[in-house]
Amino acid sequence: MSENFKDAVEGLAAGPAASDAGAGPGRAAQADASSHPTVAALREAFGDAILHHEVQAGDEHVVFIPADRNVEILRWLKEQPGQEYDFLKDVTAIDFGGGRPLQVVYQLWSIRHRQGLRVKAELPLNALEIDTVVPLWATANWLEREVYDLFGIRFRGHPDLRRILMPENYAEGHPLRKDFPLRGRFSRLEQTRRALQLDIESDYTPEELAVGGAPSLPGGPEAAGAAGRRDANRP
Amino acid sequence: MGLSGGRHELPVVSGAKDGSASFLTTKLDWLVNWARHNSLWPMPFGTACCAIEFMATAASNNDIARFGMERMSASPRQADVLICAGRVTYKMAPVLRRIWDQMPQPKWAISMGACASSGGVFDVYSMVQGIDTIIPVDVYVPGCPPRPEGLIYGILMLHEKIRGESITKPELRKELPVATEPALPDEVVEAITVPFGNSTSQNRIGGLVPSGALVRPRDRRP
Repeated sequence: MSENFKDAVEGLAAGPAASDAGAGPGRAAQADASSHPTVAALREAFGDAILHHEVQAGDEHVVFIPADRNVEILRWLKEQPGQEYDFLKDVTAIDFGGGRPLQVVYQLWSIRHRQGLRVKAELPLNALEIDTVVPLWATANWLEREVYDLFGIRFRGHPDLRRILMPENYAEGHPLRKDFPLRGRFSRLEQTRRALQLDIESDYTPEELAVGGAPSLPGGPEAAGAAGRRDANRP
Repeated sequence: MGLSGGRHELPVVSGAKDGSASFLTTKLDWLVNWARHNSLWPMPFGTACCAIEFMATAASNNDIARFGMERMSASPRQADVLICAGRVTYKMAPVLRRIWDQMPQPKWAISMGACASSGGVFDVYSMVQGIDTIIPVDVYVPGCPPRPEGLIYGILMLHEKIRGESITKPELRKELPVATEPALPDEVVEAITVPFGNSTSQNRIGGLVPSGALVRPRDRRP
């Protein structure tokens, strides 16, 4: 066995190397605020609430804000004349593992000014709660549900916070967290059983269920019953 | 062969005394099987890239109309063979099972590709490790994805299987009793879903533990 090959095989057990070697959990050096007009304006309007500003991947400006002021600052970004970040491209989260805080990431785009900004808020593991931004961008509804589903971050004030990707009866936790085992927490048999016990009609409207099958009468007693069942499942 | 009638039993229909099928039964079997295997209406359950190869199989170059299969059944009620082309998630498993239960007898299933047959490279929390834990499968087609020729070979194997069936064997047409139960006994499901091949050396401590075992100890919560 050649030395290179041996190293590679032995390295398998060690797992992937950390991608965040360097300046702490996912942080690069402080960037020059004047390199992005919005960051300069944010510093002027909010001062110390702009915790950190960095540039990633050449021209991706990232701003760290306190988690308890996210709605205030994001509303300013959306509504302040001259900024108008009217398009929320994505809401996601990052878990760096090792007990470090989770980051909630808002990826913004201003259609009028053709510029983007990434806003991050850090949440300690013992307080995974942040205010919802659904009142600002309706698209945040499903995006925040996805973050809740896969990372377990609760969004205060979300109109319909339940799982969106994983099955409704999923009880193994939140799969994209670093401490989640790759194959899940239950045995394959238990996973198969739980999957087959899932009520596949509980999460769909009568219209969705009618696709490819017998059409249901809109407004009929059957449709009303199914709609009622769906509402009953909401927390 | 005896058609003597009267109170004597008729070996023509019920089979000879030694248990082998009678002349009439085998001729009837031949006719029924001929009719069945020459017009298998597929229920395409395409969930991933295998479905693209399945479409290529149906398209004019390979043309499964040669086997009487050009009529895709968008509804399981008119389908004969379920072709599961692609990976199946646990969330999709009850849907697959419902579709299978909705198909009328006689029915067969082809598991197309590595993911449908065994989970393939997706040995992860969300993926069914072989659809035979969900529905009974007649033919497994290996490949990632299989070429159209591979799928056609699987279809011809299914033809072979159908030609060997007999109407005197009702167990061939047995339905799965409970929709919420796996298609196989518990110990078989456990046995066929254990990590195998490459997946055993991947970065996960072996075995299924409720503790949240991790590769990198420093990723554990403090």
